[in-house]
Order: sequence, then structure tokens, then C-alpha cells
Amino acid sequence: MTDVASPNADPLAPWPDDVVWRPVSGKLILVEQVRLAALAGTAVVAGAVLWTFFDGLWGWAAAAVAVLWAARAAVVVRSVRSWGYAERPDDLLVRHGLLVRRLSIVPYARMQFVDVSAGPLERSLGLATVELHTAAAASDARIPGLPGPEAARLRDRLSALGETHAEGL
Amino acid sequence: MNPGGDPGRSGSPAPSAISTPPDAAHPAGPAHRPPADGASPPHDGPGPDFRPPAGGVGGPVADGAGEGARKAAAVEGRRRLHPLTPLLKGAKFLFAAVAAISWQGYAQLGTLVFLALVGVLLVLGVGLSAVSWLVTGFHVVGRELRVYEGLVWRRTRAIPLERVQAVDVVRPLLARMTGVAELRLEVIGAAKTEAPLAYLGVEEAHALRARLLAGAGHAPAHDPAAPAAGPERPFHVVPNQRVLVANLLSSPVLLLPVALAVTLLPVLFDPPAWTAIGVASMATALLGVVLPPVRRVLNDWDFRIFVDPSGVRLTHGLLDTRSRTVPAHRALAVAVVRPLLWRPLKWWRAKLDVAGVGAEAGEQGVRGGVLVPVADRATVRTVAGRVIDGLDIDALPLRPVPAVARWVSPLAYRRRAFGWTESVVVARDGWLTERLIVARLARVQSVRVVQGPIQRRLGLADVHVDTAGSIHVTARDRAVAEAYASAATLAELARAARTAT
Repeated sequence: MTDVASPNADPLAPWPDDVVWRPVSGKLILVEQVRLAALAGTAVVAGAVLWTFFDGLWGWAAAAVAVLWAARAAVVVRSVRSWGYAERPDDLLVRHGLLVRRLSIVPYARMQFVDVSAGPLERSLGLATVELHTAAAASDARIPGLPGPEAARLRDRLSALGETHAEGL
Repeated sequence: MNPGGDPGRSGSPAPSAISTPPDAAHPAGPAHRPPADGASPPHDGPGPDFRPPAGGVGGPVADGAGEGARKAAAVEGRRRLHPLTPLLKGAKFLFAAVAAISWQGYAQLGTLVFLALVGVLLVLGVGLSAVSWLVTGFHVVGRELRVYEGLVWRRTRAIPLERVQAVDVVRPLLARMTGVAELRLEVIGAAKTEAPLAYLGVEEAHALRARLLAGAGHAPAHDPAAPAAGPERPFHVVPNQRVLVANLLSSPVLLLPVALAVTLLPVLFDPPAWTAIGVASMATALLGVVLPPVRRVLNDWDFRIFVDPSGVRLTHGLLDTRSRTVPAHRALAVAVVRPLLWRPLKWWRAKLDVAGVGAEAGEQGVRGGVLVPVADRATVRTVAGRVIDGLDIDALPLRPVPAVARWVSPLAYRRRAFGWTESVVVARDGWLTERLIVARLARVQSVRVVQGPIQRRLGLADVHVDTAGSIHVTARDRAVAEAYASAATLAELARAARTAT
């Protein structure tokens, strides 16, 4: 169902003229693929357990898992490429998503704290996730797959900007 | 906001002089009882004996530190809660304990053991509460409210008055029977109600509320007319019969027969053993079904709306009387709603988000943020205009969605509209229940544009404007170009509005 054609290229990169969109690291593709494989592996194990109860379904379940995995694995590359962020003077822009496309504009002044996190897999590849929290739970400013130094730079810059812009609610 | 406002409130030496005793008093745990200074004034006056002039600040310290501390304490003594507090809290504890034992426990234990257990628990509860009452104190220091509590783990909380969003005076049933009240503070950034001061004398609670609000810069300082709920005339009183009818016409009540059937049918088809346990569990299930609407009616009973310079004050409730003040400039968002069945009656309802109130909506239910339970449009309009300055819900620049939107939402698209002014952003939506949601731009946290796969085919996108509360402005199905343009504009306008305030 995923439609590649978006002729104006608008939704994924609005304001191409005055905003410099930065991509996330390509290594995130690997992380996502491994994660996906782990998920598929879990599904296979679950299927194997089920198989001991219902023999007939086993083949179908395996096929379904395989198909889903293949489909998703093919999309992951583009999905990772769809992540992008931009630092404007007053706010941070984050965009991502292929099927459902999202763009968040989060003013630095609204930042409450910055999270930098990295799972074992991400860490082994030198990646980290930076997440900006505001008072609104719905604010969605998460940037995964940043190279370590870039994540640190972004964190420092965000917290510095947050301090200068700081306000209450 | 008003940094120079201190001198009038408390002598300038007071903050520094007072701030020492709490720290010094920490190790000296239960030193509050004033017998050390036997000369202290008689405490058995009719009412306000919980206001010991000096001894309350911590006897030994006053002995050691001498006159300075004593004098400062006289300026603003540390106060205790109402002396009935331990009894009331003990009773509460007892209820909780009995509920925990439950019917099943009762059946297993037998009446005698049960009663004995209740007695022990009662003594225990009252005793614990009494200790906690002894070590709990509060006072206003400069621009802070300080609350001291805890015997083993001592805790001192300083709540800056600037961060106080709203102050509620709540009177649960027990408190009403004994003439006391509970004070609840809504503080910016706190997930739940901060520092409930339970319990205070009613007059003291009102006086303290006025004082805290004055400190927060909402009301003319020390307005002696503010505390009393009596003399001023309410701007609007919601007729009780209207509350009743409105609740009867709400969907939860209309679904009540279904819910009752679901609860009762299994019982009829499969009669349980008519033991205490069976009856009690059925009664509990029934209560769960019937109680929420009843509670809503009780809660909205006698709903009065006062409009004064400090903002809007709401008092309501039949059993538990609540009085909430919504400072004029602290509202985040307002939702004006018309349920389907109210349409012929031309009634509307308004909800409100003030950060603290909205954040605790989860545990409080909808009523946490009720602004107007039911009223005609004109009244709602006026009240909403008071909560968000200069808002006129009938004169908002609403732009409809493009016609292609009917492929996504054939029924609601006619009502969908979105717009903004310099200070607010507004969205209208809803097919059966019409909703008009207004949020203050100065309080916007972030702006998002989201586009689903079908919307992409149609060239549409949703614009979300996030605020900290539970009311969200969502403009569905805007044309893509417009959605991105308005997101950019809104981010810009929100910044302008933010820096302006």
C-alpha cells in the first residue's frame, strides 16, 4: 500500500528553501533490521510453540511471518531515510514516517528536559537517541540514530537553548 | 511578576529570620508542643488554638536563638492544621481499612473479631494521624508557602506562590459535618494536586486561599471581601433541575439500562447463593454502574459561577462542596461541547484546562475541569471570555475544510473548521457531539503535522496543537499546503504570544 510517488516531495521535507534538514545515521538501518529480525525470531518461536498444539497452522503462520518480515525489511531503509531534523533559531523540527507522515515543531522555550538514550545494539554502533520532552505528553520530538558526537552536541545545544529561552508553562 | 511586592506582606527581615528555624528544628522532632515555654498564652480558646504565636516554630530553637527568632515568628507563625484533623483522618483510614478487609474478610472473621479489628485499626489510625498532625505545620514566608511534615522522614516543601495555578477549598461530607475544609493547591508542573492542607477551619481556609491567590498575583492583595462566599452575587447559577435533565440526557445515563441488564442478567439466569458475599458483590457491581452519573449530578449540584477581577470562581457540590478559583490568565484551553441530545434544548457545556487541574483529570474524572456544566450559549460565551481574556466564541475566524475531506469523514466534514487569532487557536469538530476547542497560543507546547496514507492520496493533513492539558486542539483534514503553512504560522504566533506575556 505504501505509495512512493509524492511528486511535490512536500510532506517529508516542507520548506526546502529556508530549512536545512539533517538526516540520521545510515547505521540506524542495521539497528532496525536487527530489531526486526529479533521480532520475527520471537514470532517464529511462538509459532513453534503453537505448532505443538495445532499442526496445520504452522506452515501458514511461518509464511505469514516471512512475508511480513520481507515487506517490512524492504521498507525499513526508506523509513530510516525519512527521519530528519532541523534546528531553527527558535524551534526544533523533526519529521519522519512513510505511511503516516509526521512533522513536529517544538520550541526550545517549551523544553523541559532532554533524554539521550542508547540500547546495547545502538551503543555497539555508536548511535544514540535524543528525545526532547515538553509539558505536553503528545509532543513528539524523538530523534533516533544520531552518531554519538552529534547526539552530545545536540543535547548540549538544546539544553543551552532551553536555558536561555526558559519559561514556565 | 511582582517582585517588589514583599514589604507589604511580611517585614523584610522575616524571610531570612524564619528560614532558619525549620532547618534547625529538623533534628528536634516532636518539639512542637509548647509546654517548654509555659508562659505562652492560653491555648484553650474557643477556636484558633492551632495558632501558637511563638512556640509552634520549635520550642528549643526559640530558646537557643533568642529574641530574634521569636520576634520573626510572631510576624508569621508556623500554623497547625485544625485540631479535629486526627479524628477525621483516622476515620478516613478506618474506611479504607474496612474496605480493604471487604465483605469476604468480614464473612471469614466473624462479627466479633471484625469489630475488635476495627477498634484496633481506629485507635491505630487516630494515633498515627495525631502524630502526623503534631509534626505538620505550614506558613507563608515571603512569596512561598512552606509545608512541613513527617516525623521520621521530614519533608519541607516550599511552594513559590507564582507557580500556584488555582486554589480549591474542598469540603468532603465528613468535613462539612465538622465544620472544616481542605485546601488544595494546583501548582504548575506538578502532576497531581500539590500539598493538600487537610484540614483547616473554614474561615481560615478561605482567608488562606485569598492570601495565596493575592501572593500569586491574581487578586488585589489582601482583599478582605474575597474570602466570604456569601455577600457577592454569583454571575450565574445553574438551575439544579437543568443539571438533572442534562445528565439524564447524557449518553452514560442512556446506556444505563444496558449496563444494568448486563449486570443483572447473569444473576437472574444463574442465581448465586444468597449469602452475604453474593449479595455484597452484586451490590458492588450495581453501585459501579449507578454511581458515576449520580456522582456527577451531586457534584454539579448548586453550581455557581462568580466572576471577579481575579478570574472566575466556581462553587458546586451537594455533599462535597468545592470552591475553585481559575485565575484569568492561567487557563490553557477551553472546550465548548454540545452533546447530541442537548441540541433541541440549545444547551452547551464547557470544560477547562488549567495546568494542574487538567493534569489530574485522570484521577479526578471530567469534573476536574468543568467550567460550566450546562448553560445556554450566551452564558458559556461570557464565562469563556472571562477565563481566556477577550475570547468571543461566536466571533472566531473559522475556515472550513476542503471538499475532498468528505471522502475521509463524510459526516463530520461540514463541521470541521480551524482558525486562529493573535492569542488563541481554535478548532471545531464533531458529528454527533459538536466540539469547539480553544487553546491559548501563549501556552502552546508544540505543533505537529500528521498525514495518514489515505489523506496523502487526497492531499490532506492533520494539524495538532499540543498544550500541557488534556484538551487538545486538532485540526483534521486541512489541505496539505495549508497545513504546513499554518503550522509554521502557529509556531511563529505562539512564540510571539509567549514573549508578549
